[in-house]
Amino acid sequence: MRGDNSPDSAAQEDPVSFPASVPALDGLRILDLTQVAAGPYATLLLALMGAEVIKLESCSRMDINRGNANPAPGDPRLYPNGEPGENPWNRTAHHVHRNINKLGVTLDLATPQGKELFLNLARISDVLMENYRASVMDRLGLGYHVVSEVNPQLVYVKISSQGATGPEKDYGSMGSTLEQTAGLASVTGYEDQRPLMSNETFPDPVVGILTVGAVMAGLRCRNQNGRGCFVDLSQREATINLMGEHYLDYSANSVVAKPMGNRHPDRAPQGVYPCDGEDMWVAISVASDPEWQGLCRALNQPDLVQDLRFVSLDARRRNQDALDEIITGWTRERDHYQAMHLLQAQGAPAGAVVKGSETIEDPHLEARGFWDVVDHPEAGVYKQTTTPWILSKSPRKKAAAARGLGEDNGYVLGELLGLSQKQLEELETAGVIGTRPTDAA
Amino acid sequence: MIENTLQVLADIRVLDLSQGVAGPFCAKLLAGLGAEVIKVEPPDRGDISRRSGPLLGVAGQPQQSALFLYLNTSKKGITLNLENPAGLDTMHRLVQDSDILIESFPPGYLDGLDLGYSSLSKENPGLIHTSVTPFGQWGPYCGYRGSDLIAQAVGALMCTIGLPEREPLKIGGETALYTTGMSAFSATMIALHVRDAQGFGQQVDVSAMETITVAQIHSSIHYQFGRVPARRESNLVQAKDGWVSPGLETGAPEGTWPKVCELMGTPELADDPRFNTSVARRENQQELRDVVGRWAGELPKEEIYHTLQGMRTITGYVATVEDLVNSQQLQSRDFFQPIEEPEAVVAAYPGHPFSIDGQPQPDVRAPRLGEHNEEIFCGRLGYSQSQLNEMIVKGAV
Repeated sequence: MRGDNSPDSAAQEDPVSFPASVPALDGLRILDLTQVAAGPYATLLLALMGAEVIKLESCSRMDINRGNANPAPGDPRLYPNGEPGENPWNRTAHHVHRNINKLGVTLDLATPQGKELFLNLARISDVLMENYRASVMDRLGLGYHVVSEVNPQLVYVKISSQGATGPEKDYGSMGSTLEQTAGLASVTGYEDQRPLMSNETFPDPVVGILTVGAVMAGLRCRNQNGRGCFVDLSQREATINLMGEHYLDYSANSVVAKPMGNRHPDRAPQGVYPCDGEDMWVAISVASDPEWQGLCRALNQPDLVQDLRFVSLDARRRNQDALDEIITGWTRERDHYQAMHLLQAQGAPAGAVVKGSETIEDPHLEARGFWDVVDHPEAGVYKQTTTPWILSKSPRKKAAAARGLGEDNGYVLGELLGLSQKQLEELETAGVIGTRPTDAA
Repeated sequence: MIENTLQVLADIRVLDLSQGVAGPFCAKLLAGLGAEVIKVEPPDRGDISRRSGPLLGVAGQPQQSALFLYLNTSKKGITLNLENPAGLDTMHRLVQDSDILIESFPPGYLDGLDLGYSSLSKENPGLIHTSVTPFGQWGPYCGYRGSDLIAQAVGALMCTIGLPEREPLKIGGETALYTTGMSAFSATMIALHVRDAQGFGQQVDVSAMETITVAQIHSSIHYQFGRVPARRESNLVQAKDGWVSPGLETGAPEGTWPKVCELMGTPELADDPRFNTSVARRENQQELRDVVGRWAGELPKEEIYHTLQGMRTITGYVATVEDLVNSQQLQSRDFFQPIEEPEAVVAAYPGHPFSIDGQPQPDVRAPRLGEHNEEIFCGRLGYSQSQLNEMIVKGAV
């Protein structure tokens, strides 16, 4: 069940027999040095499942998601109502969206005190996660060998572009370049046209989702062996996994996969069809004969079932252009959600092409409690994505607003590491910790 | 624990009743960590992916689906007709000493066979029952059918992919379904952590729609912060043999631009106000692409990639499957795995998506339909050969 909206179906299962309110990852502490998207997405999901995530930044090197300390007019970062406000670094859309439920801590790792405190945090953590270029932690003198000596139980998760080894191990990437270097762009595009990217830096959330399982595997390994371990996760290799069959096809049959638009080798008709309204579309994806018959019923054209042009999957694939025209004649008259419901009611697979403005209002996601409303003290009220899974007896936590830069220094360095108020003040004066970027106006 | 191979899940038994891409990929990832995964297929035709393209082997002879071979490595294969009383009884016996069950049936189907979580958890309270479906186990769309395209549509992912003047476009292949498999894998691993720590099993509900809605990391939040997300041209530049993104707009360190100008043979552009800051380069992207394009058009894409990455820019090149099989980076990590087929088909597939302590994770080839029937039914469950034969006659196996 999800946080507040437990459905009836889950309630049927004898809720008395288990203490249902213990979060799945209760008691797990994660020291999170990750930035940008893939890593923060992983720790966001872990935090929603109950882990205590300490997000570590420094006042001179904030997570890129926080944008510039003094954004110039025209800065491409997104601020509520376009206004950077007093503390712009606490208000960017990407920071607010990707760092919920984490503790915000600053520590300058270039200073000796910063290094010492970092190692003290590593000592009391179960997992350390970072996604720097391969050699950065070693250059800081804080690589795996150093931290595992301090905490032999530590699970060290290294997310990197290319993996921890190999000639390209120090290459940098972003989600959009990984789409290229991991092969996705080579199969994404309109038929016979140039490759395109997702505009969603798709490999980032994919790797974030997968890394959760990798962390769990590392922890299980630790529990079995009684010592920590090093998890090496290459974003490029993880993304290549999404196209396994095409590598077999190439190596056995010399076939190099190409873009095929929205079509599919084993499904026809498949595509998106224009609906009533501007830029409104419905996706239709038919594989079997019963699904095809359902489509004909929904279109109210039962005679199509007998039409020899469309009588089998092969025939439908050969004559897909003609079929698309018939389907378009029907979809154009209808709202995209209405088209989805009418088609699905007859057993034909269909889905509205949902926009960002629509997904936050989608009735199905609403019923399942997928979105949480977050009231961020500096950015206002918005709806937050949560988890792609529901565990029946380990409810996720409710989304809580992303923390400001260094906002939890007091709790983490004071309460967890036992520093006195005076020591914290000294560290702040020395610039080792803080709550404002070094270069803030 | 076997020395030097990854056996994180060596004590875990998985029943994989799922078909297609998402559920089987989840079970494959568990098998890759050492779990014993038994793939349970319907006796007549097996997993639907056995009939999916692309196919390996010689036309005219029995061919095998590349999709099936990839998604089912390191699993054992048995057949069982769940709608036959003897088959159903056998299924209950298998569940009793299993830890994880993965399935992708329409919601309610297993309940109708008395194989739903509420029944199975009474027989085996530690069971983790992972359901992987297009829309999840409950909610207004839970009975709806899905596909990779539909997940990308309802997950608000494809609305921004493609060109502004054309229809929305999906990411190629079965990527949304693979990603759903990764969700199911991570969720199952969390549930296993709970069982290890707290002692109980539970039901895990994973849907493609929610997975992709999590994977749209821009559309919903951009809209709410006042930017309407839209389809747009890509920033790719044509190289001699393909496409690159030079990465000069964002992420390039200070001082890189003059060096790139030198490299391109256009040193006079180093101080050109259209390009001499990253803000300026972003504002004049089209002109920048033209300038860089004149240089890039003469060079192979991988040369541009390595040269500019060497200057610490975040450069990409559109790699095809052919480029990647031949990539030195991936070869140096022994990433692609040879397929072990008796017919000696030469083929390679992507290796594991992460490693722990660098330990190798050797795979076993995907099973033939019912290949391990005797081992599981007779060896594990103790059926005699004649009992097994009887089940075959009754259509249970």
